[in-house]
Amino acid sequence: MVYHSSFVDEEGITKACGCPLLPLKSHVKGPAPASDQDATDIVDEAITFFRANVFFRNFDIKSPADKLLIYLTFYINSALKRLEGCRTLAEGTKAIISLGLEKVPVPGESGFPFPGLFILPQSSKEAELFRNYLQQIREETSGRLLGVAYRPNGTPNKWWLAFAKRKFMNIIDQRTV
Amino acid sequence: MDPATSRPAVVIDNGTGYSKMGFSGNVEPCFIVPTVVAANESFLNQPRISTKSSNWLSQHSAGVMADLDFFIGHEAFSRSRSSNTYNLSYPIKHGQVVNWDAMERFWQQCIFNYLRCDPEDHYFLLTESPHTPPESRECTGEIMFETFNVPGLYIAVQPVLALAAGYTTSKCEMTGVVVDVGDGGTHVVPVAEGYVIGSSIRSIPIAGKDVTLFVQQLMRERGEKIPPEDSFEVARKVKENYCYTCSDIVEAFNKHDKEPSKYVKQWRGTKPKTGAPYTCDVGYERFLGPEVFFNPEIYRMDFTTPLPDVIDKCIQSAPIDTRRALYKNIVLSGGSTMFKGFHKRLKRDLKKIVDVRVLASEARLGGEIKAKPVEVNVASHPIQRYAVWFGGSILASTPEFFEACHTKAEYEEYGASICRTNPVFKGMY
Repeated sequence: MVYHSSFVDEEGITKACGCPLLPLKSHVKGPAPASDQDATDIVDEAITFFRANVFFRNFDIKSPADKLLIYLTFYINSALKRLEGCRTLAEGTKAIISLGLEKVPVPGESGFPFPGLFILPQSSKEAELFRNYLQQIREETSGRLLGVAYRPNGTPNKWWLAFAKRKFMNIIDQRTV
Repeated sequence: MDPATSRPAVVIDNGTGYSKMGFSGNVEPCFIVPTVVAANESFLNQPRISTKSSNWLSQHSAGVMADLDFFIGHEAFSRSRSSNTYNLSYPIKHGQVVNWDAMERFWQQCIFNYLRCDPEDHYFLLTESPHTPPESRECTGEIMFETFNVPGLYIAVQPVLALAAGYTTSKCEMTGVVVDVGDGGTHVVPVAEGYVIGSSIRSIPIAGKDVTLFVQQLMRERGEKIPPEDSFEVARKVKENYCYTCSDIVEAFNKHDKEPSKYVKQWRGTKPKTGAPYTCDVGYERFLGPEVFFNPEIYRMDFTTPLPDVIDKCIQSAPIDTRRALYKNIVLSGGSTMFKGFHKRLKRDLKKIVDVRVLASEARLGGEIKAKPVEVNVASHPIQRYAVWFGGSILASTPEFFEACHTKAEYEEYGASICRTNPVFKGMY
């Protein structure tokens, strides 16, 4: 069975596209509210659950935060694919930065990987808000992923990079094909 | 007085992966060999015209002797590795015999080379999978009576023998569910008072071979340096030596990350062609392998029911008065149940399902009538790996065994069709 997010309580959190914009322990600028530095946030959860959840194909959504978890699991998979050829942390960082510079699609646009998962944005303002949130959360995830995918001395950690070959839910990222 | 009844019967349990053979009355089988035949087929399709006359002579003589030139078991693996003239074939797939010629050769080597006994002097007990068609039993009977001239034959169903194996270690329980996880297939068979409840038998397509393939896939994805022709064998040995059942996947990953020196193991092997040694790391496949039984969708898309669910459905489809007794006595058998922690995890998951159902029914009754909690017991004992063989050994050492067998006289009178039916051991206990 799949691992679910613990962020079930949605009091006072702004929503966009049916998804709560959960707080992040982030240094990156963006619309997400700030979270305590000691607590686990959704990005930590996504990274911890990634190696288990990447094997599954059927997800039951217990709360809207699970949708964000699924999106992040897919993003971590595509990021690992970019890191596949990079032998050092410096190369990996460059590859990740180029991934972050690409345009982030929102639900409803053609490049978005999960067509039915999120509710379509009601206005262009909501779409922009969601896009900025996704951008911020992606950058944050990339940073923390580099921390686990590479050992302290800069060489790749094969226990993580092996998952670059896994195809999460058999969805092929159109841009890396 | 029939001399064969005074000698111990020969018990052979042919499984998809391994065959266990020995004499009845013993605690463990004499030989456990992989069910594989390496036959010399290089002379089968040779053209008649050859280059030199000496070549023709050697070809001719080998052609005459070629059908005696074969090996089984571990020898077959080493021969096929060292020379190209031997082709491996697996006569049993998913519990059913598919290649009768190879099976006959296999039995020939078993009887004459390994057990070194005269088949005319011993009664034989063979085993079969629960879903074997009667024609298959006829073929077995024909081979045994015609080729080997055995005095008597009994073909037993594997789960009932596994249940009989538990008779001596604990009380005489004739009711229970046998979860037989072999190399080719997994069967969940409920047995009530010694009779198999045929309509409730459930099979799932995940078995030991799938665990091996999954381990092989994971190691390949990680880029471990294993020579490709060896990778299946290495995966199998890794599975048998290092795999264990975890209670939670994410927790297991975290443990591996925190203490790699404790959890990551090294596998040392030698390359077959060059003889050079190599090592590779064994990490998270240690617990992801057996996880395939509890979460099949990590391995294949078309089958997603976990093993505890299948067992639960099987028991729920059995007659209602047997169900509590069935939950109380779940017996494991088969090599693939030997993973450390397998029975604990199975018991925990099954108890969860059962408790949810009991709570739901209590809620429906308004909490007035409290149901007695259902006891779930998964029995695990050290002879699990060949529980079927052991059960066969016990049964074949009782005096009623010889009466239950099909004898040569019956075969000559009525033909191979007598083997179609299997008398249940009545009046034994």
